[in-house]
Amino acid sequence: MSHRLKFTCALILVLVLWLLNISLGSISIPIGALLERIAGVPFPRESWEIIVVDYRIPKSITAILAGIALSVSGLQMQTFFRNPLAGPFVLGISSGAGLGVALLAMAGTAFGWQLFAGTTSYWSVILASSAGAIGVLVLMGLAAWKVKDSMTLLIVGLMFGSAASAIVTLLSFFSAAEELKMFTLWSMGNLGNTGWSELGLLSGAILIGVTMVIFSVKSYNAMLLGEAYAKSMGINFQKLRWIMIVSTGILTGGITAFCGPIAFIGIAVPHLARLLFKTNDHRVLFPATAILGILVLLACDTLSQLPGYASSLPINAVTTAFGAPLIIWLIMKRNFSEAF
Amino acid sequence: MEIHQNNPRHAKPCIHAKDLVLGYTVGKQISPIASGISFELFHGELTCLMGPNGVGKSTLLKAIMSQNLPINGEIWFGDTSASQMSDLVRAQNIAVVLTEKIRSGLMTVRELVALGRTPHTGLWGHLSVADNAYVNQVLELTHLSAIAEKKLSQLSDGQRQTAMIARALAQDSNIMVLDEPTAHLDLTNRFEIMYLLKKLAKEAGKAILVVTHDLEVAMETADQLWIMANKEPLVSGSPEDLMLEGHLQKLLPGEKWEIDSRNGKIRLKTPSNLPEISGPEHLIYWVRNALRKNIEIPMPDKIEVSENPFEISVYSGQNHFTFSRTSEMIRFLKNKTA
Repeated sequence: MSHRLKFTCALILVLVLWLLNISLGSISIPIGALLERIAGVPFPRESWEIIVVDYRIPKSITAILAGIALSVSGLQMQTFFRNPLAGPFVLGISSGAGLGVALLAMAGTAFGWQLFAGTTSYWSVILASSAGAIGVLVLMGLAAWKVKDSMTLLIVGLMFGSAASAIVTLLSFFSAAEELKMFTLWSMGNLGNTGWSELGLLSGAILIGVTMVIFSVKSYNAMLLGEAYAKSMGINFQKLRWIMIVSTGILTGGITAFCGPIAFIGIAVPHLARLLFKTNDHRVLFPATAILGILVLLACDTLSQLPGYASSLPINAVTTAFGAPLIIWLIMKRNFSEAF
Repeated sequence: MEIHQNNPRHAKPCIHAKDLVLGYTVGKQISPIASGISFELFHGELTCLMGPNGVGKSTLLKAIMSQNLPINGEIWFGDTSASQMSDLVRAQNIAVVLTEKIRSGLMTVRELVALGRTPHTGLWGHLSVADNAYVNQVLELTHLSAIAEKKLSQLSDGQRQTAMIARALAQDSNIMVLDEPTAHLDLTNRFEIMYLLKKLAKEAGKAILVVTHDLEVAMETADQLWIMANKEPLVSGSPEDLMLEGHLQKLLPGEKWEIDSRNGKIRLKTPSNLPEISGPEHLIYWVRNALRKNIEIPMPDKIEVSENPFEISVYSGQNHFTFSRTSEMIRFLKNKTA
């Protein structure tokens, strides 16, 4: 199959899944009604209009944005560090965001202060998570200034992550059950909290992050041969490093702020793209990971809200529970380390 | 390019440096590794850089690639100093083949070679018609056209190394620097690679610098040798001159080893207690070789070798033995002690 055919198939699948995603849920809305609504015929019930427009469409768009952002930054990390285990969170962004939210949610009991007088609003969570992620990124930036070696940078990132998690553990230990539950729910990921107003901001951020990646496709291709070869071919390595840190910060940090840490997609989807598209060329791989990221996350989100249940399952559990076996099967079937 | 093919020495060197001090700076601590490094690299010549491990060959390469600037002194590319060159201009002047193994098993040979065009392509790395034609030309020249669509993971070590050289060639630089390109290769591939490099130097007029530990192959193919030895300035010259002037001996520290001045091969110094061997010269060589490897066994008084049929006669005191293989002779002499 040519790349063009594969992309067309993937695109059709995305459209089908998108319709399914909007149609399925605690209240099923027939796809026929959806298609008629697109054609201009109003829904037979007014409540459907509210469910679809105010809830399901924003949620599905969030899933699409998160799919793009997480898998694209995962691919970026894997190529930059030449490490198949790298993912969007290796720079400690999710741990930093987690620390921010944990401080917001649980520090009250631990330190005996009342940060937001009991109620934690959605926007305060976003602010706390962004502040945490930006804090870690600033630290990583300082580290990147100091160390020249990319492997050292990777280890520093993991250490920052561990340190942040340790503080979160301490906070959890001292916090009250109610606050702990709020934090735990956040850490399970949630695509359904973003309304139209938040989506504008989020998609703007994702657009900036993705644009930065698009303009460094050539550098990432050179990085396939490793840092020394890339430098010898005239690639400005220091510049690429900053692009990598900033764009991952925007992409992953943005999604984590609005949806919580969504695991698994970022590491797995780039491998899936390599296996299915059988290429290392980033001009194909970046769009391929983006579209596969959309597919996987839309599918997982659809699964998490299957009909008959009033509430949807946590997205993190679904991505890992359904995605992991699929990836393991693919990896066992084809020689994955050779592909990397 | 204005190269006088018959006498390239009339041309200006494309890289030269005088009295470099090489080493690393960690914090305020300066640790010099090699000093007194002066050299000239010429178009159309294959130059081999040799020296024991740890003498600073890789540091010199890094200095030439501007990845680790010299502590003292300046490297010149024609009239431009290396430190004033932009990354892009440098990439258009020097292409490298390094020792590190690359992964990217899904990449095809053609894609790898095309990556060499990176310093010449635009923002997206899109290959123009001219770029594609150049890639094809390189594939042709390196005899890789037949396997151009193969993935890197399917190649043998020799093919992979040739592909890496082809990538460097596609960079269209006038200088190529290779760090031990023949390590891990079998004997024929070692010669194949070096003759390919020699051909590229002659036909494409490139200046090629190769770090190698392979004296035999270097003697056979190099136009110039650069010898780096511990705490001594870099010595350069044709392999033959360096052999005749005794500089090659510097590659072998200590008293134990020597270079055979007839064929440039490294061997244990001939010990004094070998018996007298008579017979045709080419047969004596191998019988002596067999004895030299087993210097601890008691030696006979005299050995005679004859051809057609091959026979070794060993005289020891009053006794006389004949053998048809050297291994039998050695085994016999060993048993005599036991």
